[in-house]
Formats: sequence, C-alpha cells, structure tokens
Amino acid sequence: MVPPAPRPAAGALSVFARRLGLALVTLWAAVTLSFFGLRLAAGDPLAGLLSQGLASPQQAAELRERLGLADPLLTQYARYLTGLLQGDLGRSLYTQRPVGEVIAEQAGSTVELAIAGLGMTILIGAILGLVAGSRRSTALGSGASAAAGLATALPVALTGVLILWAAMAVGRAAPAFLPLTRSDSLLLPALALGIASAGALARILEGGLQENLEAPFVLAARARGVRRGLPLIWHALRPALPLAISFLSLEAALLLGGTVVTETVFARPGLGRLLVNSILDGDFPVVQGLVLVAAAVYTLTHVAADMAAAFADPRLRDEA
Amino acid sequence: MRTRVSLFLALAWLGLVVSGALLAPILAGTAPSQVVAEPLLRPSGWPPLGTDELGRDEWSRLLYGGRATIVASLAATALTVAIGTAAALLAQGIGGPVDATVAGGSGAALAIPSLLLALLVVAALGPGFDTLVIAVGLGLSPGFARLARSALRRERGQPYVAAASALGSGRMEIAIRHLLPNALPSLLSLATTHYAWAIGGLTTLTFLGLAGEISTPEWGSMLNAARGYLRVAPWLAWFPGASIAGTILAVHRLGDWAARLRPRG
Repeated sequence: MVPPAPRPAAGALSVFARRLGLALVTLWAAVTLSFFGLRLAAGDPLAGLLSQGLASPQQAAELRERLGLADPLLTQYARYLTGLLQGDLGRSLYTQRPVGEVIAEQAGSTVELAIAGLGMTILIGAILGLVAGSRRSTALGSGASAAAGLATALPVALTGVLILWAAMAVGRAAPAFLPLTRSDSLLLPALALGIASAGALARILEGGLQENLEAPFVLAARARGVRRGLPLIWHALRPALPLAISFLSLEAALLLGGTVVTETVFARPGLGRLLVNSILDGDFPVVQGLVLVAAAVYTLTHVAADMAAAFADPRLRDEA
Repeated sequence: MRTRVSLFLALAWLGLVVSGALLAPILAGTAPSQVVAEPLLRPSGWPPLGTDELGRDEWSRLLYGGRATIVASLAATALTVAIGTAAALLAQGIGGPVDATVAGGSGAALAIPSLLLALLVVAALGPGFDTLVIAVGLGLSPGFARLARSALRRERGQPYVAAASALGSGRMEIAIRHLLPNALPSLLSLATTHYAWAIGGLTTLTFLGLAGEISTPEWGSMLNAARGYLRVAPWLAWFPGASIAGTILAVHRLGDWAARLRPRG
C-alpha cells in the first residue's frame, strides 16, 4: 500500500465519479466475459432447440440468420454492445420475446423476496447475536451461538425444505396456518432466505459484544451509571456496527444467489427460477441478461456502500 | 469434554456414511433404480425406509445417493485444492505482479457468490452431473487460492526461509520445498472445510435440477424430488436432508479439529 499523496481536498463527489467509472468498467467486463464465455464454451446456441426437436434444421438455419448468429463472433459482440447502449438486451431463443421484458416481468417477485429476506436476516441475526453475546456461558447464550453456527453451515435448500415441512405439519394441526405454505406467501421464503445470512450477522455482533463488554470504555460507561442490560449492550455494540453494516451491504448482493434456491424450494416465480430454467434450456440471451442484472445490482450496492462510508467517515475519501 | 463427544460423533457419522457408500451393493439388497413395491410406502418393515414416488427402495437410493454425493464432492474439492494450491504456489514462488494478480483476482472473484459462479460455469458447459463437479470445484477455487496464499505467506517469516534463501535457493524452490510442506497442515484443514462447502454446493446444484436427467440417485436431487410429497410422505425429505446436514456438520467439525492441531496459529 502506497501512502496516499496529499491532495487538495478530494471531495466526496470526485470519489463518487471514480467509483462510478470503476463500476462501468466492471459491468463491461461482466458483459464481455459472459458473452464470450457462453458462446465459446457451449458452441451452437441452437443445439438445445434442435436436440429437443423444437426446430427443424431448416427452421434453425432460418432462425440463425434472423438472430444474426451466423455472423462472425466479433460482429455479434459489437451488435450486442450497441444494443445494450440502446437498452436492448436481445431476444430469447425460445419465445423470441425481448429479454428486457422477460426479466422485468419476473424482477418484482425476486426484489420483494430479497428485501423481505434482508429484513429477516437483520431480525434473526440481531436477536441471535445479542443473546449469544450478552448471555455468554448460559445455556441460552450457547444455544443461540450454536443456532447461528447451524444457520451458516447448512445450505439454503435444506433449511428451506425443513421450514416448508414444519409449516405443513403445523398447518395440519392448526389449519389457520395453512395459507402460509401457499407458494404466493412471502413469510416462509423470506425466513429460509434470511436464516442463511443471519448466522453470519449473529457471529459479527456476538464477536463485537464479546470483545467490548469488558473494554475500558464500557467499564467507564458503567461507572458513569449506565444501567446494565440493554443500555450497556448498546454501548458495547456500537463499535461492531460499521462492520455489521458493511457486511449487510455485501450480503444484499449475495441474497440474489440465495433467491435462486429459495424460489425453487417454494415454487415461486422470479429471476432465480428464470436463470435456472434458461440454463437448462440453453437460452443464452436470457442468461446473459441475468448476468448483466446481477453484475449491475452487485456493483451498485458496492458503490452505494462505499459512498455511505465515505460520507460518514472523511478519512476513507482519500483511499477510494 | 463436550468437544470430544462432538468430535467422536462426527467421526462415527462419517464412518457410517463412508461404509454405507462403500458397501452399498451389499447393504442395499435391491438396485436403486428398480421398482420394488408400490409408491410412497411408509418406512415400516420392508423396504426399511419405505419407497419413493415411483416405488423404488428408499434405503437403497440413500446408500447409492450418498456414494454419488460423497465421491462427486470429493472430486470437486480435489479440483479446488489443485487450482488453489497451484495459484498460491505461483503467487508466492514468482511474487511481484503475479502475486498481486492472484491476490487481486481471487479477491474480485470472491465478491461474486460461489453459487452464482458455479451457475455461470453450468450455463457455459451445459447441465449434467460431471459439469456440476467442475462448476463446484471452480466456484470454490478463488476462496481456496486466497487462503492458501496466506498460509504460504505466513511461513515466509520463519527463520528457515531466510536460511534457505541465504544458501542460494530461488523463490520458487523455497515455495515448493519449504513453504508448501510446512503449510501442509493448514492446507489440509482448509481442504476439509472446503469439502463441507463442496457437499453443500453440489447438493444445492442437483437440488436445482441442474444435473439434468440422471438415473442414479443423489442426495440433492432426492431432496428436490421429495419436495412435492412433503405433505403425504415427509420421510422422503427427512432421509436425504438429514444425511446432507449430518455429513456437512461432521466434516466441518473435522475441519475445526484439524485447524486446532496446528502447532502455531
């Protein structure tokens, strides 16, 4: 690490501009990699259509001509990029519908799930972390700690199926709960999605509490008369909060990966299901569009997180 | 004391799973793809764990499924360890820009969830069980490379490295002959933890149905098939689910134990 050269007050705005430039480069890299990766590794994009008997060789040749798949790869790449700049993500090989339209149709359900999942992560993670950190060496505390460990270790598919089964068992005993297991209900999918990240958040909070509950500034707070219990825990927790917040901002992007599994478990429509189905069908334009969306969400959350940090802590502005 | 009990439990479970996988042809009695009785039979008497939605022997499927899951995850982990260790050796053996590239590249790749990375590999290579092994192996590689690089770097500060350097050994020679053997215990515990992740990753991908049409059973795809029968035959989900969970937790426990074996941190 070279120490930052003294600069005349690099304002938050110039950090923003630099970050945004970097984000655009990242997006371009993701587009290029997915374009060439998918074309070069998999060969003929229409192989899936042909092998499933959905198109005769003649129709395939016609389709290839119409979609421009017969042109040299670089020409296709240039056309794809110019299309992107005009907001055109290409067309699905199967339905011939614009990819942007297909994605927009499914996005709402996934965004809803991701936001609810993030809420669950914060709720469950905070409860587990606070209990584990503040009730150490009690059965309750080590139970919370073990639960956090389990939540991190087990795949979402497993916790999801477990939750679904438990809800069905409860629903049989008390039919009032049965609507929860319907595929359009948000609570259980959000729970399954949230639990995976909640374990990691709980670990961070627990570690922060453990480190600080005996720290001098907390002892000083006690001497000043801050009451034990929640007020004191809040004091001890504050140094761990920036770490927890930056973890959550990264986790927001990871949640998109989790939605792929959650949507399958609960048979919900959404981008994750669309991605899996497009991979199974070999529908390249749709896969590529989803990669672009994922990369955009990912870079934007990072820029936002960095910006929030830079506005909150001026020392970070020079390092960006 | 309690930690010893949990380690013993983990080893006992892994012993059961491995011997079940090895002895599957003897223990199973029937072939996993053979229809032996009416579908969705409760686990009572014979077949011991009931039958699945097509009337196949669940006990036999669990044994053979474990075989597929365990071996495929092991292959994926081997790929991860090979790629990651090679990258770490190149980084530490050449240094300079190569080291910076490995560190930066693995860091950037780590920012993408390994599930999405694996999904991209499946998208490029097409669905199929072999593809999934490669996808899981590649998906976990950046993380392993990063950790292996730090493990090798930690050894760099040791006096014997300075001694070897004074004796005229080159960087790559030091990396291969001195850093690697001494970092081996760390790498082994890392590999164990990655094995647990590989099991989770592989069963997740097969759960998503990305293995394509496979005739042989596998724990993740068994769990997915059971999803539709949770109301009428929940045991079809219990058996593969508990097997996956138990094995992942046991391997994690083993990894923790291996990490603590190291003489220095």
